[in-house]
Amino acid sequence: TGEWHKPGRRRIVPSSVVLTSFQVMSRVFLIWAVTHSVKEVQSEDSVLLFVIAWTITEIIRYSFYTFSLLNHLPYLIKWARYTLFIVLYPMGVSGELLTIYAALPFVRQAGLYSISLPNKYNFSFDYHAFLILIMISYIPIFPQLYFHMIHQRRKILSHTEEHKKFE
Amino acid sequence: SKHPDPLHTLREVEILDAKTREKLCFLDKVEPHATIAEIKNLFTKTHPQWYPARQSLRLDPKGKSLKDEDVLQKLPVGTTATLYFRDLGAQISWVTVFLTEYAGPLFIYLLFYFRVPFIYGHKYDFTSSRHTVVHLACICHSFHYVKRLLETLFVHRFSHGTMPLRNIFKNCTYYWGFAAWMAYYINHPLYTPPTYGAQQVKLALAIFVICQLGNFSIHMALRDLRPAGSKTRKIPYPTKNPFTWLFLLVSCPNYTYEVGSWIGFAIMTQCLPVALFSLVGFTQMTIWAKGKHRSYLKEFRDYPPLRMPIIPFLL
Repeated sequence: TGEWHKPGRRRIVPSSVVLTSFQVMSRVFLIWAVTHSVKEVQSEDSVLLFVIAWTITEIIRYSFYTFSLLNHLPYLIKWARYTLFIVLYPMGVSGELLTIYAALPFVRQAGLYSISLPNKYNFSFDYHAFLILIMISYIPIFPQLYFHMIHQRRKILSHTEEHKKFE
Repeated sequence: SKHPDPLHTLREVEILDAKTREKLCFLDKVEPHATIAEIKNLFTKTHPQWYPARQSLRLDPKGKSLKDEDVLQKLPVGTTATLYFRDLGAQISWVTVFLTEYAGPLFIYLLFYFRVPFIYGHKYDFTSSRHTVVHLACICHSFHYVKRLLETLFVHRFSHGTMPLRNIFKNCTYYWGFAAWMAYYINHPLYTPPTYGAQQVKLALAIFVICQLGNFSIHMALRDLRPAGSKTRKIPYPTKNPFTWLFLLVSCPNYTYEVGSWIGFAIMTQCLPVALFSLVGFTQMTIWAKGKHRSYLKEFRDYPPLRMPIIPFLL
């Protein structure tokens, strides 16, 4: 297979486009396709759990980017970005999974976003089954993302330690 | 005393690992007119796990791979040539990949067509659809993949012998997955035939047949462009066969006809998964066509300017 080379894209921060898009899509999905669409889950504690986790993560992450771009990155921010995820990631994931799980019976009952045969487009979609598949996909995906961050942490925080020695 | 003839001086070749710069192999008394293919064979003797197909030899560790046909004395090297080696990973032949990825859909579709147990409810096991279009669709789908298998065996002339092994898993998942998804709905007991009935089916069938003939004509024309065993590239031109006249407007009419065939099949079956499969295939083929078009433009100064990669005048 010959793959045509993608043209260059503008970069402001060095994050991977693929990983970041993935994260953005998954968050948009949780908000619109689950929490907004199934009103009954909006009062669940699990929603509070992932909202808090995401909020703290993003405050730290964008501070990190801003300070980096200004070439004045306090070590505390760098440390926070590469350390707090150890707790925030599992917290966010738990909140997300519990929310989806809570939504399931309501989705099934209402036949939400689902289409069944027969119909003139000869197509069917079961949103309930789809949500279960999404939950299962966390099993291979979450460890990969988590250990990627742990690996990044070792690389970036130990690098700073070495630099500090020579100051 | 005899003067040493520079053209016939035996050469030395050292092969280093492109990443670690470790010396992997030293070949002496190499004929100056030896090809890279022959050097790869010599390298395999000392490192049998790296068969020639998985060797990438280059002059620069980050440079382009040398071609098998390149001759040692024509390369910008001294009497001792330094080549850098990169392992391309396990390889599998293109023919094997094509046969596997096409045999799957042929077989899988038939499982759904014959309503093999455990797909639909037990009361439908081995029953037959009462809609003519469902039988027609099976014939078209099967014909399409039989044609592809025969073309792989008898028509296509591949410029590359192998591709990375992981491709077979990726490709088979794509072809076999979509085949199962489409076949499930078309052969479903609750299948709904096309809205405009026989008219729609006849039109769609005509599109499908014309595009299949077109696609085959282009494959034959491309085959005739390249003699057996060679890897030469020439600009394809229209022949006496009217189906090849699409070359006037498009670089890769085989892809144009292929998209057309699947659009025909989608209209015939009025099945959304088929339309989605056509869309995904179209996207991939457009990427390939643009790449091919670019290489044509790069290689041939006199490339016909009217041609677009895949869709006349548009794309």
